[in-house]
This record gives sequence, C-alpha cells and structure tokens, in this order.
Amino acid sequence: MSTNPNTATPAAKLKIAKYWAASCGGCDISLLEIGPNLLELIKIADVVFWPCAADFKYEDVRNYPDGYIDLCFYNGGIRNSEQEEVARLLRRKSKSLVAYGQCAADGGIPALANLKTVKGIFNASYHDNPSIDNPAGVEPQPVTPSEYGDLEIPRFYPQVLRLKDVVPVDYEIPGCPPQSDRVWEAILALAGGQVPLQNRNVKVACFDKAVCDECKLEKRQVRIKEFKRVHTSIPEPNWCLLEQGYLCVGPATRSGCGALCPQAGMPCEGCYGPAGDVVDQGTAMVSAIASMLDARTEEQAQAMIDQIADPVGTFYRFTLGSSHLKARK
Amino acid sequence: MSEPANTASTDTRPAAGPDWQPRIIGFLCYWCSYTGADMAGTARMKYPPNVDIIRVMCSGRIDPELVTTAFARGADGVLVCGCHIGDCHYITGNHKTMARMPLLKRILLDLGIEPERFRHEWVSAAEGEKFSKLVAEITEQVRRLGPLDWPGLMRTRGVGHGMDLKAWGE
Amino acid sequence: MTADRPPHRPQSPPAEAIRIGVFICHCGGNISDVVDVRRVAEEVGRLPDVVLSTTHMFMCSDPGQMLIEEKIRELGLNRVIVAACSPTLHQLTFRRALSRAGLNQYLFEHVNIREQVSWVVEDKAAATLKATRLVRAAVGRIRHLQPLAKRRIMIHPSALVIGGGVAGLVATRDLAKRGMRVTLVENTPFLGGRMAQLYTLFPSNEDAKELLGKLIAEVVHHPLVTVHTGAQVISSSGIVGDFRTRLRISPRGVDKHLTQVGIAMAACPEETISEYNFGLTRRKAIYMPYPGCWPQMPAIDWRSCTKCGKCLSVVGGKGIDLSQEPQEIEIHSGVIVLATGYDPYEPMFGEYGSGIFPEVITLQQLIRILDPEGPTAGQLVLNGRPVKSMAFIHCAGARQYEGINMPQPSGKVNDYCARTCCTATLHQANEIIDRFPDVVIYDIYQDIRTYGRGHENYYERASERGVRFIRYDPRRLPKVRHDPRGERPVVVMVQDLLTNRLDVEVPVDVVVLATGVIPHDISELVDMYKCAVGYDSFLLEVHPKLRPVELAVSGVFLAGSCQGPMDITECSAAAAAAASKAAALIAQGQVEMDPFIARVNEDRCSGCQTCLTVCPYEAITRDPRKGVAVINEALCTGCGTCAATCPSNAIQQFGFTDTQVMAEVEMLLADMMPAPLPTGGSHE
Repeated sequence: MSTNPNTATPAAKLKIAKYWAASCGGCDISLLEIGPNLLELIKIADVVFWPCAADFKYEDVRNYPDGYIDLCFYNGGIRNSEQEEVARLLRRKSKSLVAYGQCAADGGIPALANLKTVKGIFNASYHDNPSIDNPAGVEPQPVTPSEYGDLEIPRFYPQVLRLKDVVPVDYEIPGCPPQSDRVWEAILALAGGQVPLQNRNVKVACFDKAVCDECKLEKRQVRIKEFKRVHTSIPEPNWCLLEQGYLCVGPATRSGCGALCPQAGMPCEGCYGPAGDVVDQGTAMVSAIASMLDARTEEQAQAMIDQIADPVGTFYRFTLGSSHLKARK
Repeated sequence: MSEPANTASTDTRPAAGPDWQPRIIGFLCYWCSYTGADMAGTARMKYPPNVDIIRVMCSGRIDPELVTTAFARGADGVLVCGCHIGDCHYITGNHKTMARMPLLKRILLDLGIEPERFRHEWVSAAEGEKFSKLVAEITEQVRRLGPLDWPGLMRTRGVGHGMDLKAWGE
Repeated sequence: MTADRPPHRPQSPPAEAIRIGVFICHCGGNISDVVDVRRVAEEVGRLPDVVLSTTHMFMCSDPGQMLIEEKIRELGLNRVIVAACSPTLHQLTFRRALSRAGLNQYLFEHVNIREQVSWVVEDKAAATLKATRLVRAAVGRIRHLQPLAKRRIMIHPSALVIGGGVAGLVATRDLAKRGMRVTLVENTPFLGGRMAQLYTLFPSNEDAKELLGKLIAEVVHHPLVTVHTGAQVISSSGIVGDFRTRLRISPRGVDKHLTQVGIAMAACPEETISEYNFGLTRRKAIYMPYPGCWPQMPAIDWRSCTKCGKCLSVVGGKGIDLSQEPQEIEIHSGVIVLATGYDPYEPMFGEYGSGIFPEVITLQQLIRILDPEGPTAGQLVLNGRPVKSMAFIHCAGARQYEGINMPQPSGKVNDYCARTCCTATLHQANEIIDRFPDVVIYDIYQDIRTYGRGHENYYERASERGVRFIRYDPRRLPKVRHDPRGERPVVVMVQDLLTNRLDVEVPVDVVVLATGVIPHDISELVDMYKCAVGYDSFLLEVHPKLRPVELAVSGVFLAGSCQGPMDITECSAAAAAAASKAAALIAQGQVEMDPFIARVNEDRCSGCQTCLTVCPYEAITRDPRKGVAVINEALCTGCGTCAATCPSNAIQQFGFTDTQVMAEVEMLLADMMPAPLPTGGSHE
C-alpha cells in the first residue's frame, strides 16, 4: 500500500476510523490538532467511521467486510455494554485496533470512578444532588416498556474497563490527550509500513523513558522537606518541582509530551501513564517519593505522608485501570 | 459527593466455606527477620502455616509493587518485615522501607483493603517469639476478615471477560 | 516506539531448555516426620521443566552432595533446588556442590522447609501443603535465574590501625610480626591510651606504664610499622582490599633537638585542664602527660597555645617550631582495624552529688591520685585534705534504668554493665588497705561482678580486711548530701539490702564513683566506614559468638573497647583476633564477594536522580555526559534498595530481579488466578 500522495490511488488509501467511548472529546480534538497535517492525512487516508466528526452509523460498520478498516482509533473507557459491543464490532472489522488516549489504554480519568460503587454513582447523579429535581426517584433502567416496544439502553458496568480488557489490542497511544505531533508521527509510521499493523499492546506516539528525560528543570539532589500545592505557593523557576515539594509524578510517567507541564511550572500529573515496562504507575511513584523524603524517623515519615491529601488520585490519576488492584473493593 | 461514608461494597460473592485458609505472603529481609523466623523454628515455636515467606536481602528491596501484586493475585494478607531502624545490615536500607510502607498502606486503605491485611513490622534476628506471635496475629485477623480474593472480585466486575474474540490475522 | 511486553516474564527466551532437579531432604526425620516429603516430590515433579524430583535422608551429607553432582552430570540439569534446612546453614555447601559438577553455583535455589515449616507447623497436612507451595515457588523463580560470577577484588598487602591504645598496639604488633606493613595512627600526640592512665594492673599488680612501655617499644621499633600521632582521619573511600584514607597530621611543634624540656614547659604562660589526670590538675600548652610517655618529647596543644614564643626564647630557639602547619597524607591499605577505645562515663551535674560536692570523684581520678607518679605523688589526699574514710559507689553510669537514672543528652540511658569496674574498684580498695591501713572504706554496690581469673580474690580479701559492704536497690539510688552533723564533709544515704532494707547514713571524706564506660566518639568514622552501631552506641560485630571482631563492612575489624566494655586482657585478645583475621584476609591476596549487585539499564534510565541518595554506600553517581545513573559495582553491597526505588524499573538487582521475585509471588498464588485466556488478553 503506497503512501506517496502523488501515486496513491483511491483504492490504496488507508481506511481509518475513530470511535469515542466513555470520553471527554479531548482525544478527538487532539487528532484534529495535527492542524495543517489534516490535509496530508486526507491525501493518504479515508475516514470510514468517526461518529464525533460526522454522521456515521453503527450499521455502516456492520456492513463493512471483516478487516475492512486498516487503522481504528478507539478512545475512551468502557463503562457500558454499548461501548464493549462497539469495541468488539470494531475489532472484527479492523486490521489494526489502537487504544487512543489514556482512557482506552489505562482507564484514564473515568477509571477513578472505580473508587465508587455503582449505587454511589447513581445516587450522586440522580438523587442526592443540588441540581437534580427527581422526587419520584427515577433511575435509568436497562429495559423500559413503551408504546413503541421495549426501550433498551446499554447496561452500566460495575467497573470501568480498558480496551484491552475486552478485546485484543494492537497498539496503544498514551496521553490525556496524546500530543498531536507524536500522533501524526505514529500515523505516518503505521501508514508507511514502518511498523506492522498487527502487534500486541505496543505503545506508540511516545518515548520509552520517564518525563525527567525530557524535562529541563534542574535537579539539586535535595530531599523533600514538606509538600506544597500550586494553589498555595509559587514554584521557584528552573528547579525540579518534585524536589521543591510539589507532587510532580514525572519520574513515574512516560515521556513524549515534551514535559510541557513542568516547563510551565505545573507538576506533571502523569497523563502518559507509566514509563518503560512498568505496569503500576502508582507504586512506582510511591517508591520514588518515599525515597526522597527528608525523614529520619517513622513519625517524621508518617507526618509527611499525611500531608498528601489523596494518594490514589494523585498517583493513579490516569492509570487506575492498569494498576494491579484497579478499583476499590 | 454525597456518598455514604461506608460505601456498600459491590462484592456479590458468596462467603468463604469452612475449609478456607487465609493465604498470606511474607516478605522478609535475610539478615534480621528471616533469621528471626529461623530462630522461632530452632526453638520449635508453633505458629499457623498461613504465611509463605519470600526472602530478599534487605527490606529496602521491597518495592510496593510486590505488595500490590500479591494482593492482586489473590493474597488475603501481606506481611513485610525488616530490621529495626538503626540495625539494618545495609545501614539505611530499612529507612526507605520505613517511608514507603505507610504511604502504601494509605493507598491500600483508600482502595478498601482493611488495615489488618497489610502489616509492616520490624523483627530482629533474636525475635523468634515476636515473629511467631506476629504470624498468629495476622492469620487470625485475616481469618476474621474473610478472603480478599481480588482476582475473583475483578472477575465479577468484568475484568478479563470477552476475550474470545481474536485479533486480525490470528 | 516501545514494546509493551507483559512484565515479569523473561525478556528473552532462555538459550537452552531449562532442566530443573529438585532434591528434598528428610533431614533424618526433622523434616519428614512432619512434611510428607515424597508427596511434595511427586507434586513438584509434575511441574513443567522439572526433570528430577527426589528425596534424600541428609542432603548436606557427603552422599547427599554427591547425589546432586551425579544427577547434574547424568541428567544434564541446569538448575538445582534443594528443599531442606535454612539457607543460612548450608546454602554455601550446596552451591559448592554445583560448582564441583561444573554448573554455575548461582543457578541454585535453597528452600527452607525445616526452620520455617516442619519445626513450626503442627498439622502435617498443612505442613506438606506449605512445603509444596514453597518448592513450587522456587521452581517458578529458578526458571529466571541467570549464571552469575563472584566479584574478585585484589587486596593491598597492608593494614591501617586507628587508635594507639593497648588494643591498637597489640593489633599492630601482631600484624607486623606476620610480615604485614602497618600504619598506626593515634589522635592524641602520645601513644598508650587509657592504659597509660593506670598505675598497677589487676590481677598481677604489674606496673601498667612499664608494661605499656615494652609494648610500645616492640611496635615503634619494628621496621614494618609506621606511626603517626596527632593524626585525624578526615576521609575514607574504597572497599576491602583497597581502602584510601586521608589523614590530617597536626604538627607536634617539638622535635628531638629540644633538650631543656622542663625549662620550656615552665616558661609557658598558658594553662588548661589536664585530660591525663581527668581534670584533677592543670597542664601547660606545651606538655608531656607523664615521664615515660611515647614519644619521649613534649607536644604543643594548639588549641591552648597562643604562639607567644616564650618557650622558644628560653631554649634559644632549638627544638621548638611554632610555625609548622598541619599536613595531609593518604594511606592506602587493604584492611582497617578500629581500636578507638572508650571514654569513662562523665557523671552528670548532681549525679550522686557530682559537681556539687568537691568530695565526689570518679574511680579514674582516684587511680591518678594513688599513682606514685600522679598529681599527689601517691598520697591519699584530695583538695589538700588527707582522706580518712571513703565510700565507693558502683554502677555510676552503668546498668541504668529509664525513669530512674538521668538520661544522656541523646535521651538514652546506659543500660549495660561496664564489666571491669567492680574488679577495678576492689583492686583499689585493696591497694588503699595495703598503703593506708587506717582508712575506713565502704563499698556501696548493686552486685559484685569480679568475674575474671584471679578477680574474685580482690573481693574476698577486701571483705576479710574490713571493707564494709552495703548493697543498694537500683531503683533506690544512693544519695550524697552535705553531712548535717558536720562529722565529715559528705554523707551517703542508702537503703541497705543486706540488712533487710535498713536506711543507713555513711559519713565519709570522699565518695568515689565507679563509673561505667561509653565508646569514644567516632561518629565521623562510623559514617565513613558505614559501621553498624548497637543501641548502646558501641560498634556492632557481625555475630557475637562466631564473628566477634568483624564488622559487617568487609575488611574492617574491631579491636578492644570500641566494641564494648572490656579489660586489658580482653582487649589484647580481641586485638590479637582482629590482627589474625586481618592478616588472613591479606594473605588470601584477593577477596571474593557475592554477585547480587544492582545495575542500571541506561536505555531505561530517565535521569530522574531519585536513586542517587538512596544508596547507603554512596555507590550511585550520575554520568553527566549520558545523564544516567551509574552504580559503582565495587561499592555495591547488594541491598537492592535502589532497585526498589527506581520508578522506571531501570535498576535491577542480580539474583533478585523483578522477574525473579514476581515469579515467586505468582507461583505461590498460582491456584488463586483464573486460567490463562485463549487469546492472551491482558488480565493485569
């Protein structure tokens, strides 16, 4: 299959698809953010399914032959049966299925809902909420009889799942959202045959090492004396934020984003997931942070740890779905 | 936002049968706690068999990931033992453990794992009795809490299902 | 682009098929009486890659070891598991068996099913299950083991002895006799240490300084010995076989050309307290502690000297040089012997009246007074008053209880017994009876611990010769007060256990506190050499019974009272032992160390620098060119702390890699996990 826009014939163009499951729309925007390269993209590819961008129907996909889609980007977590059904459908119809963005790859922000129960979520959404007026206590039901027949809505799953929890996945593009220039590089590599369409859970559009590798802030090899938050104090420029006491998760986060946030004085939140072959980003960060505390006794260590308001939220913000434990009991 | 403090668990699995035995993994440092456990044996102290010991050279080697993996794979409890502060064979190896374990414990608590399931204690080479009491204590406490069976819990929540589908070309 | 391999699997398939041999020991019934070893062997034998699974009555015996060797050769085993007693006993034995059979000794796993299973689990079925689980875990782990090689380090054939007291001198002498080059360094300007502050020694009543003089002569005249006095260790680096120590040598200010020693010392206008006489007297800034000291020439105490030059002018400028500067030198040695000694406990202000009543002194001060060469020429006189009666109080600063005794500035109390003071006290009591028979002596004690050879004699004779013994309860300490009746300067109030808790008042001229000992402060050395220190602050040996003079740090040995309270006999023995061990190490020529070190994978290291400060041995540095961490493998002792710290999993410890340890966890819990999924989807 040729990718030279001058020689490509319509039949040789890549067929790409993009689906959004439990997501915020940011990943779709990030693909659009390749900017002028959109024009290059449409020279080498045809979009055959992208419900966020145009009026595509599931029926369209069902009518495609199996393997029709060359490259399918699936972003968003899987919280209900529709999302899983579409994942399975797209898997059958695609040569290469790519988990696009943190939600699909590691659970992302939606996976933090795994710290709550379904009952708790429904309670907060439909009942106990200042902006809800629901005196009858109505909750969405999987099946509702109506004059037109039974209305079925997707079943709400007990836990947010990742794409690879429900179907085999070829590639993963980390990030929340993935950085557009990295995404464009990945698309070119896949389109150009530099990497095979088939693989298993290989991370692309990113680098292997942690954010510290890209970060320009200076390390002074000092230990953390107390933890700080950006809303209560201003970081000193040019100095490692973690050493200053801000909870920068950079050491435990994959690079590829250019360390944009630390460069702007904001501690890295870990949105590219774990680096290298690390599976659990949170325990990686626990190891790192605990080793940097300026604590000589157990009491001092405990006092510093108590300063961290929400360890799970801070260290697993984007990757609870990929952690070993994945959820609250 | 308005969630009750004691969130009702979505654990719909049946309770443990009468034959159930707590499965506890113990990570012990070679120089102090492992030798302390040996001492309990030399003195023929009797304690429950529920703690399987994995030895490392220093408690500083104990990555929090080892603990979460043990729970994720089905351990009902995890025990981490090292030398007392100031007695570490490698001088300050256990200082790192001292800081890591409380933070890990906090995370485990926030994930709903009861504090009695994860114990971090200092055991010296001479504290065979302390070790045997510790094993008896954690076994009893975990027995009262019942099985954790995290893999089973994840299965009921749908993790790892639907993999009957093949990837393209398989 | 990265390959997101499922973690904790081998990074590459093994080059050859794994062939595991499992040997389960009956231990003569110690194991097999509880654990059904045949059943375990059967279960384990079913696991993939296990080629042989058998039992034996005594694996550690010669036939047991030969069985391993035979089977390795016969079946082409490339991994061996022995399930038996604790690895602390026979891990080495079995590793050697592998070596003899031509297999790398680190392709071995030792499973403890005796101390941690058969000896502690009562229910046989449960014990058998547990043993099976543990051996299965070993099978999982051993698949991932790689051949490793011991590290070899060449040993520089010389020794550095730190401390010029009796222990340091004995160690130096013994090492030199064995043909080793020795550098002896002493912090003060004079050799001899605490022994020089004594006059007679128990139990032989020999003259301490004379004996010391002979020992010093043997040392300083030996061609292989170099002595540096006034020396301070400022830095040390290196590892066993190759220690590099920097010393700062304070100049003496005086050389052998000074003949008018007395005149020079008299001319000096500066005075300070005499440490040699424990503060009983003052000395000049240019001084000699006692007539027979070594070197036989004064030294200048630069802290007190104002460089006024008066001493210089009265001797015509010969033999004194006030302009000398400290020098720094580096000593290269293969081994180090620490002989830094002890300090007597300083009673705190108010402790038994110390500091409040000038009549309260320490045993060390009494000994200086009784010394015929001492400040009172041996007369039993204190502050100008002859002493007619005295009370000894034992255990001042020793055997202390929290909440009862005053704690040290560190907050701790000295709860240990100082050993030598009972004998020393009764020795002095007998001396006083010999020389001053009219003096009334009271001995107020908790227990009498005259434990050594010939020591009990002092106790018996003291009792026979009229010393009055009063026994006190450590929870009701004696109190020293001003004597209200004015008979004597002070009175000791104590409850006597020997007379069924009668409260007695003992009026005396002098109270002598038999003080305990504390280690001489060597906190910088402890940091430099990474020594382990016990709760009592003395240096901690590797094993009190089997390795009493070795530190956990390889190549550094302990000699004498830096390790704990001991008398000169015991110091000599310890010093001789340290010298012997040090010499044996040097004689080996090279030292072998276990290979369980850590290594950084540069392709993974992001330069986050989190690991740099976690190493207890400062073995990790940053390569500024590559921006990655580097581990100095000669300094790494294999604790694995850095491996656990690295948030990128870029550091792995040989023998304890993530893969290897995780495999153990996974195998132990294998029955709890669901069956593998057909299309290899992730359930991580």
